[in-house]
Amino acid sequence: MDGVARAEEQPRSRDLASGWRPRGSAFAPCIPKGPDEQEEQPNSAAAAENPQTLRVVVRKPLVARLTKEIVETYQICNPQFKYSEDLNPKRFLTSPSVGVLNDGYDNVNSDLILTVNFVLNHLEKNKRYIVKDLLGHGTFGQVAKCWDSDTNSFVAVKIIKNQPAYYQQALVEVTILTTLNKKYDPEDKHHIVRIYDYFVYQRHLCICFELLDTNLYELIKMNHFRGLSLGIVQLFSKQILCGLALLKEAGIIHCDLKPENILLCTSPVKPAEIKVIDFGSACMENRTVYSYIQSRYYRSPEVLLGYQYTTAIDMWSFGCIVAELFLGLPLFPGASEFDLLKRMIEILGGQPPDYVLRDAKNTSKFFKCIGSLQHIESSESSKNGRSVYQALTVEEYEARESKKPSIGKEYFNHMNLEEIVTNYPYRKNLPKEDIVKESQIRLALIDFLKGLVEFDPAKRWSPFQASKHPFVTGEPFIHPYSPPPETPHMPVVQNIKVDNHPGGGHWFAAGLSPNVPGKNRASLYSSPHFPMVQHPPANSYGSVGSHGSYNDSVGLGSSYGSYGESSNMFAYYSPIGPSGMNMHNQSSMSMLGNSPDARRRVKYQPGNGLGISPSAGNFAPLPLGLSPSQFTPPSSYSQVSVGSPGHYGPTSPARGTSHGSPLGKSAAVSQFNRRKNWGHSGSPQSQETFSSHWHGQYPDSSSHTEGTSQALGSSPSYLQSNSNPGNWKQRGTGGLSANQNISCLIKPSVNMNSQSTESVHDSAEVGISLPDPGDWDPNYSDELLLQEDGSDESCLTTEFGRSMNLGSTETLAGFGRFNHVSSSNTPIIMQRLNGPSQAFTNVEMGSLPAHDLQSAYVPSNMSKHFHLMPHILQNSPSRFGHQSVQRFSHGRPPQGAEWNQFKIQAPSGFSSVGPRSPRNNSFTTWGRRMNHPVSSMPPTSRTRKDYARID
Amino acid sequence: MEQTSQESQLGSSNSVTYESPYPIYGMAFSSSERVALGSFIEDYTNRVDILSFNPETLSLSPHPSLSFDHPYPPTKLMFHPTSPDLLATSGDFLRLWELRDSSSSTHPLSLFNNSKTSDFCAPLTSFDWNHLDPNRIATSSIDTTCTIWDLHRSLVETQLIAHDKEVYDIAWGEARVFASVSADGSVRIFDLRDKEHSTIIYESPHPDTPLLRLAWNKQDLRYMATILMDSNKVVILDIRSPTTPVAHLDRHRASVNAIAWAPHASSHISSAADDTQALIWELPTLASPSGIDPICMYSAPSEINQLQWSPTYPDWIAIAFANKMQLLKV
Repeated sequence: MDGVARAEEQPRSRDLASGWRPRGSAFAPCIPKGPDEQEEQPNSAAAAENPQTLRVVVRKPLVARLTKEIVETYQICNPQFKYSEDLNPKRFLTSPSVGVLNDGYDNVNSDLILTVNFVLNHLEKNKRYIVKDLLGHGTFGQVAKCWDSDTNSFVAVKIIKNQPAYYQQALVEVTILTTLNKKYDPEDKHHIVRIYDYFVYQRHLCICFELLDTNLYELIKMNHFRGLSLGIVQLFSKQILCGLALLKEAGIIHCDLKPENILLCTSPVKPAEIKVIDFGSACMENRTVYSYIQSRYYRSPEVLLGYQYTTAIDMWSFGCIVAELFLGLPLFPGASEFDLLKRMIEILGGQPPDYVLRDAKNTSKFFKCIGSLQHIESSESSKNGRSVYQALTVEEYEARESKKPSIGKEYFNHMNLEEIVTNYPYRKNLPKEDIVKESQIRLALIDFLKGLVEFDPAKRWSPFQASKHPFVTGEPFIHPYSPPPETPHMPVVQNIKVDNHPGGGHWFAAGLSPNVPGKNRASLYSSPHFPMVQHPPANSYGSVGSHGSYNDSVGLGSSYGSYGESSNMFAYYSPIGPSGMNMHNQSSMSMLGNSPDARRRVKYQPGNGLGISPSAGNFAPLPLGLSPSQFTPPSSYSQVSVGSPGHYGPTSPARGTSHGSPLGKSAAVSQFNRRKNWGHSGSPQSQETFSSHWHGQYPDSSSHTEGTSQALGSSPSYLQSNSNPGNWKQRGTGGLSANQNISCLIKPSVNMNSQSTESVHDSAEVGISLPDPGDWDPNYSDELLLQEDGSDESCLTTEFGRSMNLGSTETLAGFGRFNHVSSSNTPIIMQRLNGPSQAFTNVEMGSLPAHDLQSAYVPSNMSKHFHLMPHILQNSPSRFGHQSVQRFSHGRPPQGAEWNQFKIQAPSGFSSVGPRSPRNNSFTTWGRRMNHPVSSMPPTSRTRKDYARID
Repeated sequence: MEQTSQESQLGSSNSVTYESPYPIYGMAFSSSERVALGSFIEDYTNRVDILSFNPETLSLSPHPSLSFDHPYPPTKLMFHPTSPDLLATSGDFLRLWELRDSSSSTHPLSLFNNSKTSDFCAPLTSFDWNHLDPNRIATSSIDTTCTIWDLHRSLVETQLIAHDKEVYDIAWGEARVFASVSADGSVRIFDLRDKEHSTIIYESPHPDTPLLRLAWNKQDLRYMATILMDSNKVVILDIRSPTTPVAHLDRHRASVNAIAWAPHASSHISSAADDTQALIWELPTLASPSGIDPICMYSAPSEINQLQWSPTYPDWIAIAFANKMQLLKV
């Protein structure tokens, strides 16, 4: 009744209201100006713009003096009036907001306590980032939306936890992204997030990124988990491929590609552009250290099985993403790894190739062998087309693991890929001809997906190959696509002479990774006495300060960066720090504890990796990834056994060192080769350090990579000795990873010296920065430290603190290189939100046929973008065609140096951490489904928790 | 335009002028003939004067006995929605005053202070008396908070960190819904039933452009108006289309200082500016591409600092410029 009555009343009162007219007694009617008077507008407009010229306004209007300037006004009224902004109630963005660590700046989780308008100060650049909101948080730290008053724009700032592990890991991201941005994609055309700046504030590493919008998972969610239209899927696929092509060119594996890590751009001028974010788990292709990578749904079979991996794992993830964009649901929503594999096998109708299963270290978890060993050896089985491996049933798995595997819900009941795509419901009321059209595109999609979610990493398409698929190019799909051959990289390698110098063997040894059995085998030949199988070499060797430079490091062992000031600086700021003549010191502590293979680690104990330096008698606790080769005198192999397996469990070898008696703890055989490089280069130290990088990081590196690293170290001959063409073949894609290095090979020897010098600095820093595995493992300090030795913890913290302080000085130097990054960057566009209404349009688009895109998007902001879809494709064929050329140009020494730096960090951490690697938890949260980093809330319902109750 | 002719009308049947001994900023109509004026004196002691307006005789008679001293220039004056005997003022604090005709005097009823320190004070930039629930007053402060006071109990009902910067104005929409504007450049709507969320319905084009005043159209709650600092525009918002203003009223030639919706009509709004003009606008259902022109205008002798539209006498608009208050018949 009420409502009706009101509804009836309303119009009446409205009529009354709108019927009201001022009678114009005191007010003069204002007649809209005619065209003539309009001409005069400029004058009045000018007056409006600049009232001061018309009348003398001595002071601000009173309304401003009682709002904006009220404090000044009241102070004029009463000089005793006092107001302090500091007393204002703070809106905390960080929870918990109680400051208990780092002089009260950090909460119990080592997160910097952020409040609205908190200022992150980049002191060296005199830049201020004003925190406005929290975009996300995770175990790595927090992501805040910040206002950069210099550029008048918002940025996303990742504020890393004040803990060494996260600090180091974040440096990897900095280095990788900087390289990608600057070297490979200076024009920002490859859909990789831009990094603008980084600095340390209150002992927290802060990384500034361009601010982006919603991630693709949120987009699908807004669409109520219905698939997006094929046109959109195609549009996004092109862009992601463009990014992946760049990653491949750079030899970088993202390692965590998923819808949550692909974000829409905010830019209104770049329609429906997306970007790949979160390189916190990325690694160099030739430094695939961690075995526990990728988010489960998007995890490739080779990673799942513990086989060596390449950039092809990103292509698998990409395939999963494309399918999910179309289906609205993940293709392989495995509730466990077993479930994941089961789904892959079911949906794809096949299983990983025997050569993978034969060498993968987790094969026995999921498969049983039903053929004879001879068959395996001779690969006969694969010849007759029947595998000797059979996937375990749920019951068999349960029997083996003595626990039931988690099995998730079936979304697509027992259908294969083809059926799933074909039977996916069409948009309602679609005209018949459109259904026919879409069914054709769906066939192309099926073919496309088959080339991506291909069990055999060697057969899986490369980004370049995939980008030529009719589904992406939009050409009519007539017959199954057979990709053009991937740009051959072999020639580059093949030019390298193979020198089987015994000394060269150490390269392999150093680079050996349990993770990469295939490669190990290949490299064996050059290091015959390396007992590969029994002692996973990568974990077990350690190389120690050859120059006796070890100073005071012993006591400080547990944390990196504890070796005196200079080394500290390097430890923290190594990725770009150009300076550093301290090589001796730094190089002296190379401790190779990191095992690429976490699982194996458990058995072999990472602790064994303790390296001792014969010369100095010191052992270097920290730099995990350091390569033994660093200190290897040519052709002399020394075996050092250290580390006690079992003592430290999955913790890091470095821990042993932190106790100060490395020898006592060490037991496992660590093998390292000593070789003196100086013979070959004018600057011995540089060489040493340099090579160390490469090695340490490369547990699973293929021979060529190692070779190249040598090249950088200015000892070309070594290079050759190490490079093993055979490896390349075996690996297929392997060649790519080394491209940087390879180019160095070509450098005239004249340049070598300078090269090496440069690399020296970097490497020195790098070496130091190699963290204790504990630093890598987020859980390490939390749990393991507690379990073991309390003193370690304190030691570690102090060290870290110290080095942080020192580090800030160094940042300046390091920053030189980064500077252009930020300056060269295009202005960030302020984030504008897609409202729910827009969300709805998205919904619509999901079901629209591809050709309908424009209309589908019209109402939303995105509509603009989507119009231009066809133009978006960035990857031009020519790019790929010139790949190899580009590589060469990239091979300049400085670059090599940069690469070196970051190589160091990534590997050391994860390997030892294994299943508890930081990325595992940390990145899930940022990219976590519910809480994504840079997405913005729809405006209409833009409800926000941005105010707080005070009472 | 016809400035001289209008000035000559002063004191005519269409306008009444009151000249105060001091500059005027605060100004309030009561539910009766009472009018309150607040001084803007650059001294600790300021004044609030009470006058009576008689539209029949066109007279404005001061009540010196009801006038009182006020610390600092009041940022806003407002009578109780229904009782002309209760006046609230904001400045360093929110104060409630009782105007007693019987004793011909004004008594401070209460001072609402939520501050924990005595040395420091976060001044209130504005407040609004809830017209549907007169027990509630909402204040806005430069300490970024909005405070809802329970007047009977002299208690804080809720204090919210409403904005990222100083809050400059606040307005009730419904009994439990209010909106505020801030130096952070946003207009946010709050619902006391869900204190965890606010809705941003507008952000100034440049994030650091403060919004100084906010007026919620009581005749049609879909619309509100706000003004930006140093801007000649009045921004009209429709809460159904957040972030996209439905209109920009940009015919003032200098920065707008005050806005008021018509108390009795749903689509009329008045504005006053440093260009000495007071304009009345009617919002069209469809804006013409060339923009919206005011339907009528008044030119004052100097910059207009304040403008109020009398709810009791909707035909009268009050403006304040320099030390004068002027009532204008519309």
